[in-house]
Amino acid sequence: MKEVRIDCMYETCPIPLLKALKELKKMEIGDILIMETDHSCSITNVIDWAKKQGHNVDYVEISEGEWEIYIEKMR
Amino acid sequence: MTSGRIEELKKRRQREFKRKKNQIKYAVFCIIVAIIIYAFFLIHNVNYSILWLIGLLLGFVLQRSRFCFTASFRDPIMVGSTSLFKAVVVAFMISTVGFAIVQYNFIQGVQNISLNDIPGQIHPVGIHTALGAILFGIGMVVSGGCASGTLMRIGEGFLLQIVVLIGFIVGVLMGARHFEFWDKFIISQASTVYIPNYTGLPMATIIQVVVLILLYLLADWYDKKNSMMSM
Repeated sequence: MKEVRIDCMYETCPIPLLKALKELKKMEIGDILIMETDHSCSITNVIDWAKKQGHNVDYVEISEGEWEIYIEKMR
Repeated sequence: MTSGRIEELKKRRQREFKRKKNQIKYAVFCIIVAIIIYAFFLIHNVNYSILWLIGLLLGFVLQRSRFCFTASFRDPIMVGSTSLFKAVVVAFMISTVGFAIVQYNFIQGVQNISLNDIPGQIHPVGIHTALGAILFGIGMVVSGGCASGTLMRIGEGFLLQIVVLIGFIVGVLMGARHFEFWDKFIISQASTVYIPNYTGLPMATIIQVVVLILLYLLADWYDKKNSMMSM
């Protein structure tokens, strides 16, 4: 039950999603991936994808214009 | 869909997050500036004032809805999600009907219509259309946004897009400079296809809307297929 943090600051989509894809592959079921991003469009992008894949996902604003996205690997 | 552990992480983060600055004064300032510009246009050029209002509303909708033309054409291929693509198709349907009404009203009163006079972007189609589309497609995926998305994110404060804006301006200037060359060798050789010429305007509108509905259904099916496969 690890927590993995990746830094996607200043990256436009689709880079954050590609980074998440790469990282999730290495993780085990039940681990949580935490992504930091300041790209608002990435949020919809990543959350849409994660929901489709059946992962648990949510996000929160951690500072003005900066968000953290949480993805719990489910399968 | 969230789980208890994600909720816990969120709560921990929210406690640390304190809003540093109150942004309401900036908002009030921007609204006042926008109203002053609007008033200025109202006095000097009514047309500009309308365009200014439409521009403001468009920008607002783009920002709040996170609408992204790039994602609408990229996501179906990259992640198999077509929700934005479907939104674009719906927008096309609405504008098809809207333009049909505008063009129909225009054609009513006029004898000997020339294609150049009809409202709308009716231009020659040919190899240059495909070439331009490929160039634009590569550009927008690399830069992470089309023209409207880039401008919207600059306003939002996403600094990387300033770099894109510089490239954008260079590209537009070069395009304007070289347009004559393209026009002479390719564009003027191609023919303009205006389907209502062959089928009449009502029929052409119906055909286009039907094609768009089919595209919508196809996109919907593709979306569902992709989420089922992953379950």
